[in-house]
Amino acid sequence: MATQVFKLPESLKGDVKYSFCPGCDHGIAVRLVAEVIDELGIRENTILSASIGCSVTTYDFINVDALEAPHGRAMAEATGIKRARPDKIVFTYQGDGDFASIGLAESMHAALRGEKLTAICINNTTYGMTGGQLGPTTLLGQVTTTSPTGRNVDYYGYPIKIAEHIALCDGTAFSARVSLDTVANIRKAKQAIKKAFEVQIKGLGFGFVEILSTCPTNWKMSPQKAHERVRNEMMAVFKPGIYKDQT
Amino acid sequence: MTTECLTNKKVLTKGNYAIAQAAILAGCQCYFGYPITPQSEIGEFMSGKMQELKRGYVSAESELAAINMTIGAVSTGVKAMTSSSSCAVALMQEGLSYATADELPVVLISVMRGGPGLGNIYPSQGDYFQATKGGGNGDYHLIVLAPSTVQECVDLTYKAFYLAQKYRNPAVLLADGLLGQMMEPVEFYDYPYPEIDTSSWALTGAKGREARIIRSYAPLADNQCVFLEKLYQKYKVIEENEVEWEEINTDDADIILVSFGSTSRNAKTAMKQLREKGIKAGLFRPVTLYPFPNKRLHELAQKTKKFVTVEVNMGQMVNDVRLAVNGACPVELVNKGVGAPPSAAEIVSKIEELL
Amino acid sequence: MEKNFIIAGFGGQGVLLAGEVLANAFMLAGKHVTWYPSYGAEMRGGTVNCEVVMSDEEVSEVNKSDADFVIALNQASFDKFLSKIKKGGWMIANSTLAREIKTRTDINYLFAPITKLAEDVGNIKMANILALGLLVKASRLVNLETLNQALDTVIPPHRKNLLPLNIKALKIGYEYDLLTV
Repeated sequence: MATQVFKLPESLKGDVKYSFCPGCDHGIAVRLVAEVIDELGIRENTILSASIGCSVTTYDFINVDALEAPHGRAMAEATGIKRARPDKIVFTYQGDGDFASIGLAESMHAALRGEKLTAICINNTTYGMTGGQLGPTTLLGQVTTTSPTGRNVDYYGYPIKIAEHIALCDGTAFSARVSLDTVANIRKAKQAIKKAFEVQIKGLGFGFVEILSTCPTNWKMSPQKAHERVRNEMMAVFKPGIYKDQT
Repeated sequence: MTTECLTNKKVLTKGNYAIAQAAILAGCQCYFGYPITPQSEIGEFMSGKMQELKRGYVSAESELAAINMTIGAVSTGVKAMTSSSSCAVALMQEGLSYATADELPVVLISVMRGGPGLGNIYPSQGDYFQATKGGGNGDYHLIVLAPSTVQECVDLTYKAFYLAQKYRNPAVLLADGLLGQMMEPVEFYDYPYPEIDTSSWALTGAKGREARIIRSYAPLADNQCVFLEKLYQKYKVIEENEVEWEEINTDDADIILVSFGSTSRNAKTAMKQLREKGIKAGLFRPVTLYPFPNKRLHELAQKTKKFVTVEVNMGQMVNDVRLAVNGACPVELVNKGVGAPPSAAEIVSKIEELL
Repeated sequence: MEKNFIIAGFGGQGVLLAGEVLANAFMLAGKHVTWYPSYGAEMRGGTVNCEVVMSDEEVSEVNKSDADFVIALNQASFDKFLSKIKKGGWMIANSTLAREIKTRTDINYLFAPITKLAEDVGNIKMANILALGLLVKASRLVNLETLNQALDTVIPPHRKNLLPLNIKALKIGYEYDLLTV
């Protein structure tokens, strides 16, 4: 008799075309979020506040009620949803540009207020959707379409370490940085995502996970090389780890 | 909440408090705001009252956040609002554009002050364009209601919540610093409109139904055309059904003063004084600035000799009156840039110069 | 009939509250009424005034250019509003803080040491309400009993212990002998 060992999470829509580029880690991240929602049994009680960027179509993939927010305002809309319906599980799925550049005020203040929300932030060191420009997490020396000779401090300043900053906010209950470059790290990432939801469910405060991700298209690398870059270059600056855990 | 303690009793109330109290009585479940003079009393009142009633309240980090928190709250089917003024309402334009595209019943209380830029805290009607033409991108309208008394601040706050939900479109109560700061006797009463069922579209969790997506993103041009046609069908219905205005002595008027908001009070007195001087004057006061009473103004233009708009700005509504009149008779402007409205005597003397 | 009142003084002298009490009294007496404040940019210490318009019909205008009655609690307010009083109108001035000079001859003056009288009542903060007593007597447009009711309306529940003192201040203002002026 056949045993099913792998299936589509209920929280993922099966009948859609996934629009992420080949080798992009968004697909893994979305799947992990969906698996966590399944495992926590919260799909029918969860609302997504979606963002702008490559993450814009997340609502086409994750099978929960969703509201599209203007660029940078996902945390504000999530706050509004949660204050109106405190019994709902509310989360955002944002890129680093949305969360930590245009939306930094909304993100920090949601964490400072200790909003019972979960935020998933994809850090791929670039603005992916608009064609690989310099973003808040672009590494020093990194060449992008708006840092043609590499990010230098004089013109661009420094990249932001998001998970560390969010951990410093008193309203934050959980803040971690994870990566998706190995199977082991994918497992750790899922555990972190789960905790970020659990702190919301338990009412402990703001739950945050920064996910180091690839952008093979804009980095102009193969998926394999891109993951090597995550390991060798990104992790040197953005160190994976749990920066706060009040569970 | 009931109005037991307040009903059938006049209470001397400041415009800003009247608006806030009316919002509470209308069933506003969440308030989000950032202080700015001359409307800060609204947020101050809400901060205490909403917590007392165990409703939602956030001192937002910015007006960008405040309007988007409001969008988030109303997307779940509840009544919610934000309030602000002029240069800070400017920050909300993006959110308002999204809310029209998302078809979400946001209520915004806009208490106008002097501009452009930081301007000053004096009363003004300089945001007529901001409210009726919008600073957000794309094709859209906001429903705009303009109170002229503190009592109307109450009446039209109720109506803003109702129309916003009825049409799933943002509604703006366009008051000004004078109304916000002045006190008048008002009567509060229970929310007079039927409750709108939001269950067919609200985000409440996909339990026993398909997951819902509220979004404005329309990757395909054809889809966007279909949406815009549908949106403008809705605006047509609003224009046919929700136009509201007041007119006095227009039947035999040779000259009709057109004025909205607190300024219309002085225009009304000026109209009476002109009548005492033997000049056949009338008053036309739009209550809804969108939908604008184009049709009625066009009718009146066929029998009166002149329109004069009285505004505290450099001439904004005058453009809409000219469009409505469509050349049938002259449309002049009596205005003052900013501050309390021109006195009736000033209005009368300027109109005498025009005759 | 429509009458307008300006109450003016330093920030902190309670002129806005005095106006609110007066406006409430007119409301309780069944009149149409508006109250409109004007502040300096400072939170405290600048000049502040409010306008109260009482009318048998709909109030004709807000933020009028003239007044039937002015209460000036300090010199700056006296100087600012003297010229705005209509012919035959009243200047009710605080002689503790404003000089008794009568440059205009077409209006009535009522000088009283309002600050000192308030101190005598036992609280300098009662100057605003005491001045209303003077106004009631001079204007005869609303009676003392209605003002007492208005005080009760305006003073919040947690300050009700101050009601008797306010009523006393109002009475002392009202009974300040007009003939001594």
